[in-house]
Amino acid sequence: MKPIEIIDIDVSYGAKKILEAITFHADAGEILGVIGPNGSGKTTLLKAMSRVVARDSGEILLDSRNLDTLGHRELARQVAVVPQDISIGFDYTVRDIVMMGRHPYIGRLASETLRDVEICDRAMHLANVAHLAGMSIHDISGGERQRVLIARALAQEPKILLLDEATSNLDVCHQVEILNIIRDLAGKITVVSVFHDLNLAAYYCDRLLLLKDRKVYATGAPEEVLTYEKIREIFGMETLVKPHPLTGKPYILPVYAHQAGVGTNLRVHVVCGGGTGSDILHLLHAAGFTVTCGVLNVLDTDYETAMHLGLPCVAEPPFHGITPGSLSNLREYLDDADAIVVTAMPIGRGNLDNLRVLLDYPAKPVLFYARDHSTRMEDYTGGEAGAVLTELVARGALRVEGAEGLLARLSRGGLR
Amino acid sequence: MRRTAFITIPALVCALLASMACAAALGPTGISFGSLISLPNAWTIIWDVRMPRVIAAALVGCALAVAGTAMQGLFRNPMADPHIIGTSSGGALGATLAIVLFAGAGRPVFAFAGAMTATFIVYFIARRGGKIPVETLLLSGVALSTLLSALLSFLMYTAGQSLHQIMFWLMGGLWNVSWDDVFVALPILVGCAGIYLFARDVNILSLSEEDATHLGVNVEWLKRILLALSAFVAGIAVAVAGSIGFIGLITPHVMRLIVGPDHRLLLPAAALAGAILLVWSDTLTRTFTNDMPVGIVTACFGAPFFIYLLRSRMKA
Repeated sequence: MKPIEIIDIDVSYGAKKILEAITFHADAGEILGVIGPNGSGKTTLLKAMSRVVARDSGEILLDSRNLDTLGHRELARQVAVVPQDISIGFDYTVRDIVMMGRHPYIGRLASETLRDVEICDRAMHLANVAHLAGMSIHDISGGERQRVLIARALAQEPKILLLDEATSNLDVCHQVEILNIIRDLAGKITVVSVFHDLNLAAYYCDRLLLLKDRKVYATGAPEEVLTYEKIREIFGMETLVKPHPLTGKPYILPVYAHQAGVGTNLRVHVVCGGGTGSDILHLLHAAGFTVTCGVLNVLDTDYETAMHLGLPCVAEPPFHGITPGSLSNLREYLDDADAIVVTAMPIGRGNLDNLRVLLDYPAKPVLFYARDHSTRMEDYTGGEAGAVLTELVARGALRVEGAEGLLARLSRGGLR
Repeated sequence: MRRTAFITIPALVCALLASMACAAALGPTGISFGSLISLPNAWTIIWDVRMPRVIAAALVGCALAVAGTAMQGLFRNPMADPHIIGTSSGGALGATLAIVLFAGAGRPVFAFAGAMTATFIVYFIARRGGKIPVETLLLSGVALSTLLSALLSFLMYTAGQSLHQIMFWLMGGLWNVSWDDVFVALPILVGCAGIYLFARDVNILSLSEEDATHLGVNVEWLKRILLALSAFVAGIAVAVAGSIGFIGLITPHVMRLIVGPDHRLLLPAAALAGAILLVWSDTLTRTFTNDMPVGIVTACFGAPFFIYLLRSRMKA
């Protein structure tokens, strides 16, 4: 039995379709994130689930019971909503607001019991607002007010908690504070939350629901939904998607596309390896350069990035040196290139030829790309690589720090 | 609920009882305790002239204040009162029709019918697809009031001899109130009790309609109930005492400052304070100003206070 199940619902405002054929469910105790670009219908979906907005067709089941058969108060005992922010006209105290969460439990002629007070106290404690209980809702900060709304929702003792971008008006430390509270609730309560920030969604959600143009585009674990291709398709934006170093969940770095197009008609060959070139492969590709790379070993991170981006790449099997065949392929790329970028990769016997071959192209501009001022190439060749580098520098090769610097240098034509 | 609750309500009850006693004792004819025995007419003056008037003033004041409080909660707008949804202008037109057509016969009935009809017209104008957006409700209230005022002006223009009577009625007053009028006004208590049953819902509705839905309030149904009950009590008030302004606007404000915004406390506090306010206003006019219409007194106190509120809101 699913705590909430949405079956083929359509919603429209007047003649305008907002949601079409939406079907999904949430599993008990999970956090399900709803993501998608503006106008994809995220908020409306939540409103349909809390029955604020009527739907044209389809069914919503709560524990297999049709949502429409529940009375207003019964619904409020099952489903609680934390809105983005609320403006409160009158001067209520924090406790007053949280106690309003008990409304669906208190009869018209009754007043709150000791049990209601206890539940409110517990809710305020969980949401970390107990110390604010006596204060006016107008005298506390936005982050605190948002936590008060969470406390109020918890006072409803809901089975399902809906959050409509409940943290997007807050600065990052308050966002994290609130999402940690929500994370701790999961397991006991099923949470469905709209997220604007994809990284927060990836970090905190068990599963994601990606909406596009009124429809469900994808559902699944964050790493299935937040892929480079899907993000580009949905948001029309170039990104780097990497595993988060602590959680292994996807972490998205937007590539701000203001340089898009600068690289038109320019060919750049990137000599890289060991993951030192992945970000600039993405970046140069996104900026519109025609990018080639190699020689790389299959399974190298940079090789995978190149394959992922569909870049032409000279490759050797894992842990294999550079063969004459590969070298001649590399020369073809180098012949066509307008500029050559060398990243701060570790250099050993196996890939030394990647550098040495550059000595045959004295006319081509060569840029050494370093992430920052402390980046150094690691030489495992006993000085041979160092000698080649010195020679290249003597011929005019430049060290460029930072991706922005590299792009700027390349887009100025290069070069000398 | 704040601690002040346990002091404020009993204090207001005492104040109301004391005010009513004082009001019964005060008047153009001075009556002392001694004269109650010696003067044969004294008891008649107290019991048949002053008592019904004092009780009616208390009931009408209570009705206006409670309707105002409910409207302000419903509209989430501290400037709302029964005028705003056409109740008062509907009542005025009804009463004027009775005066022009039937020389004043059945005036309270006409006033009440006018008040209720106007409110429901406003409600139906504002209704769309089973919902009444608050902004539309306010605007259609203003629009209908303007139209009704025009009709009223036309009636006054053509009224001839009865113009004087209409003018007096429009300014609002409690002269000639008898025990019969008190019985007419008694259902006000029922209406106010009805509104009080929804005090907690009004608290929640004063956040936002969507929020109220999330907390299990049937918002559209609640709006209808509150409108109907407010129009009912305000309509009776208008039928008994004509249109008396500012009590419905100002009493909720003052009481909100004293007892806070919780309607479970605010509604009874406003009811009592509204009663006290109108009892004293009426006593002042009949004792010192030769029974000038009490609407003039409430407006004289009310308008400057309203301006003060506006100014302090602008600062905030």
